[in-house]
Amino acid sequence: MSPELLFEQALNGLSFGALLFILAAGLSLVFGMMDVVNLAHGAFYMLGAYVALSVVQRTGSFWLALVVAPLALGILGVILEPLLLRRLRGRHLDQVLLTIGVSLVIVDQIGAIWGREVRSLAAPAGLDGSVPLVGGEYPVYRLFVIGFGVLLAAVVSVVHQRTKVGMLIRAGVEDAEMLGALGVNTDRLFAATFAVGAALAGLAGVVAAPVFGLQPGMDGDALIYSLVVVVVGGLGTLGGAIAGSALVGPADTFGKVLFQEFALAVIFAIVALVLLFRPTGLLGRIRVAR
Amino acid sequence: MGASAALIEVHDLTRTFGGVRALDGVTLAVRAGERRAVIGPNGAGKTTLFNVLTGELSPTAGSVRLAGRDITRATTWQRARWGLARMYQRNELFAPLSARENVALAVASRAGPYRLFGSSGAESKMADELLAKVGLAGRESSAARALSHGERRQLELAVSLAQGPEVLLLDEPTAGMSPAETARITELIASLDRALTILIVEHDMDVVFRLADRISVLHEGRVIADGAPGQIRGDVRVNEVYLGKAVTVG
Amino acid sequence: MRRVATWLAIAVAAAGLVAFPYWSAGWESSRFATTVLRDILVFAIFALSLDLLVGFAGMPSLGHAAFFGAGAYAAGIASQRLATSELAVTLAAAAASAALLALVIGALVVRTAGIFFLMLTLAFAQIVFAIAFQWTSVTGGSNGLAGVGRPDLFGIDLSSSERIYVLVAVAFLAIALGLRAIVHSPYGRALVGVRENERRMRALGYDTTRLRLSAFVLAGTIAGIAGALSAYSLRFVSAQDVGIGTSIRGFVMVLIGGAGTLVGPVLGAAIVTYIERVLSSATPVAETVLGLVFIGFVLLARQGLVGIGRAAWAQARR
Repeated sequence: MSPELLFEQALNGLSFGALLFILAAGLSLVFGMMDVVNLAHGAFYMLGAYVALSVVQRTGSFWLALVVAPLALGILGVILEPLLLRRLRGRHLDQVLLTIGVSLVIVDQIGAIWGREVRSLAAPAGLDGSVPLVGGEYPVYRLFVIGFGVLLAAVVSVVHQRTKVGMLIRAGVEDAEMLGALGVNTDRLFAATFAVGAALAGLAGVVAAPVFGLQPGMDGDALIYSLVVVVVGGLGTLGGAIAGSALVGPADTFGKVLFQEFALAVIFAIVALVLLFRPTGLLGRIRVAR
Repeated sequence: MGASAALIEVHDLTRTFGGVRALDGVTLAVRAGERRAVIGPNGAGKTTLFNVLTGELSPTAGSVRLAGRDITRATTWQRARWGLARMYQRNELFAPLSARENVALAVASRAGPYRLFGSSGAESKMADELLAKVGLAGRESSAARALSHGERRQLELAVSLAQGPEVLLLDEPTAGMSPAETARITELIASLDRALTILIVEHDMDVVFRLADRISVLHEGRVIADGAPGQIRGDVRVNEVYLGKAVTVG
Repeated sequence: MRRVATWLAIAVAAAGLVAFPYWSAGWESSRFATTVLRDILVFAIFALSLDLLVGFAGMPSLGHAAFFGAGAYAAGIASQRLATSELAVTLAAAAASAALLALVIGALVVRTAGIFFLMLTLAFAQIVFAIAFQWTSVTGGSNGLAGVGRPDLFGIDLSSSERIYVLVAVAFLAIALGLRAIVHSPYGRALVGVRENERRMRALGYDTTRLRLSAFVLAGTIAGIAGALSAYSLRFVSAQDVGIGTSIRGFVMVLIGGAGTLVGPVLGAAIVTYIERVLSSATPVAETVLGLVFIGFVLLARQGLVGIGRAAWAQARR
């Protein structure tokens, strides 16, 4: 592999990793707080991308879409949690099953509303070009994705470590029931958590759309990659989401270059190794396997 | 040590949780056919000792031997196959299954699970006999979760006996039982085959003195006394840390 | 006497099921009904195998399509590359491939339980899907594997749609009866023991990890057979057969019908297939209906239709 190609692929890997972080952070947060693996996370991601598509079609503004889509998903989350998940509080497996149903409905409705063909979303003006970079051209938008992901990770880390909300989250991941005993309204906390998780999925959908386009099946891909990231990085911790996406993004990208159609075997191998030798994930505390 | 007839030999067993030493160099030898009580105040390390003996916890240091075989690294199911059974303090039953099915699963463990066809008639019959033995005749078809607490303790005992063990670990067999139930299960244990080696953790001193040939006293993860019931009753240190506070030894 | 009568009734029903395309031949919709019934039975086998895991062993797999797909591809590829239409060969290839894949994935996932098990089976199956989707030279990739040959069995030609139906129906009956024996056998009881209290099972001397792995492989193998039957029936294997959609469909069937029962998955397969095949021509949002039905069952009737039936029966007898 030539140095130029290596450099380009490294950037691709980083931008994919940054995207995975946005996506996985929401899944990890919901799991950490509520012990629920939200299998509708991929559907939320997909919905975010399609909402963005509509916003851009109506207003022409990508930046407005970047705000509206996460907001819409957040509202959906804050409605769905009390409507469905709350009724099964404490029955985590059944809650997970519910999210399967939610996912089926959302994906089918997306197909009914927006159609089932492949769509694309242009990068916003100013980010739609390329810049010269080490003997080649590189799309500006991908650099933006890297920057956006890193910025989000930094902001979330500060919130997580330094603010009262962050303290609440850290305590909630430790033991959400205990927060209830301390007088925190867990109903509201869980609804808010689920909403933020959904909003993050929606945000990832908007950011990813100019890179990967919009098509049926994108929900499943997003779900799998985010599951892999949180398993590899460590469930329910912010550091785990960062570490997992930083590893999986580049690994997948280089896997595609080196092994083409067997790229996913690389991911398979990583998950297998983690399960066998580090069942808590790289930075997690929850053991996934005995 | 080598030539001793000890069935269970625990050597210098240590288990730490973070900074806490739940077991701190415990050494014990239990002869075949012996009935040994392990007593001590709450937090003395009794349940940790049982968990290490069954392999549900691995020790930080030290070794465990069963009939001369080093089982320190063996899995729980291997130890069970080699003759170790446990009556749990908090019942570990198959809640929706009937009492008969609970015991039959234990009986069936000896033949192994890889029998894809065929029925379990013989196992059910043995299960019914055992249930009668522990006083649950007539309750064979009741789901475990439908039984009273006392009945569940009896079922728990029947399940551990059904394995056909050589060593039986009884973790507070009378926990939560009424005086009448306690007396009944105590006599039931006393009447078990004398060839069966029994380790018993129990808070009720009447039960301990009724059943034990020998008593080991655990305190803060160490064995502070080890002897015949008469000796233990007279041991000043034991009375200080434990007996003196909790019970009047008659 | 009553026992004999019961078995006689079952035998008559079974014969009726197997001979359906022949005695219904006079109906206008016989051919359509036969294909719908055939698809129901293929998925009933798939759902039964999944229920062995989900309902009996307490292993909620969301990746069961991997084995269905492995069987379907193996049967299709074997018939094309080995240039044989011998059922014994292609079906064996399907079962063996599914078993092997289940062994590999199972070895990694059986140490996990509950939500983690669900997550990992889903993730691994999706990786298998991606491989099937991308390995175009072997699987046909997104175009699928077309032109799968209809099999013959020791010289008997099974290529007509009636005979393929008979093959599926016979396989369904054999597998359903086999599973019925298995769940009542010491092995089946041990799986239920693992589901209810794995800690106690280990303390009783059962190697529960191996037990769970064996169940995973057994269920995977049966799913592979279902996949092969699907390939013979449709003469086509789609990458979607391996996809998350198929896994979820199986899970929905088991749950709607009633997990941990043998009747439930069959009922579930019938309902889901009906919604998808018949309702989808009436409404464009069949998946939405399916999703809502599923949500309803999870919220209100977790024991499925069989559970509802049992409750009603108990009510009526009181």
